[in-house]
Amino acid sequence: MSDTAPRNPVGAPQMLADALLRSVAGTTALLRVTGTNTDTNMSEVGLVSTAFAEVVVSPVVMRKLRPTWQESGESKWELLVSATGVEQQVNALDLPSAQSLFAMTLAVSVSGQDYVIDSIASNEAFGQVYLYRLLLRETRQQAV
Amino acid sequence: MQNAKDSFYMALRTRLATINPERTVLLRGAVRPGILVEEAEAPFSQLPSDVFILRWLGLGIETDLGSTMAAAECEILYQTCGTQSFGGLDRGRAMNEMDEELVAMLSPCFTPKLNYTATPPATMLTQVFWDEPGLGPISVQRDRLSRSAKVMVYSYQEQGE
Repeated sequence: MSDTAPRNPVGAPQMLADALLRSVAGTTALLRVTGTNTDTNMSEVGLVSTAFAEVVVSPVVMRKLRPTWQESGESKWELLVSATGVEQQVNALDLPSAQSLFAMTLAVSVSGQDYVIDSIASNEAFGQVYLYRLLLRETRQQAV
Repeated sequence: MQNAKDSFYMALRTRLATINPERTVLLRGAVRPGILVEEAEAPFSQLPSDVFILRWLGLGIETDLGSTMAAAECEILYQTCGTQSFGGLDRGRAMNEMDEELVAMLSPCFTPKLNYTATPPATMLTQVFWDEPGLGPISVQRDRLSRSAKVMVYSYQEQGE
């Protein structure tokens, strides 16, 4: 039976999630995002005219998924991201939502290793997101 | 062949904006006509719906001519789940609409070749042209209908290419 009793939104779940992430060696992730002024012919055909920026989110925790989750030999990881860390950057960049931030993200860098986002999920309590879970895949080596 | 590929995409993009201005996609923070080149975007975990995706496949070169001719095979993928307001029950009609837009975009089957590395893009001497699209069967995956069409795109190699 679900609990449908109305409650005022509180920050307790978010604070608890942050404390847990920090207590299990929470680290920092860099989201490599594209600039918003990319509506040019050159950027649409792969010519370099896109501005990139790195957005810092913390605390985050990485965990490797079971081997059964592997696809085409690439390791898959789950990145647990603090919702308050994401919210700060969403406000700083003046974006409408966290989904907009993730949609702009080309790659996620953790401890110098780049990953691409496969899927995004979130955990909520009392109608508020307290944790984002990003399913990541290691990127292949790119030419310099 | 890169100039031909770029010109082909830009021609289709311009034509789509005229045929159906409402077919747009929000990509990298910008609203654009609903067509993109897969190899010029970040990798997709799942291809976006209601958008035309150009994927470049085979390449052939014919040198026994006055000028070298290159031919590249372009696969155009598109899929739809219908609209939310119809609960997806209009997905067949939405797919039919995209079929018609694709055929309209590919006609006429030629466009000037431009060099997009120059600013503004420089018009080259020859044209890019292509043959009739070969439309594949609809693939049904639960509530998603998808189709791919293949087009051979031809171009003469000019000096400096």
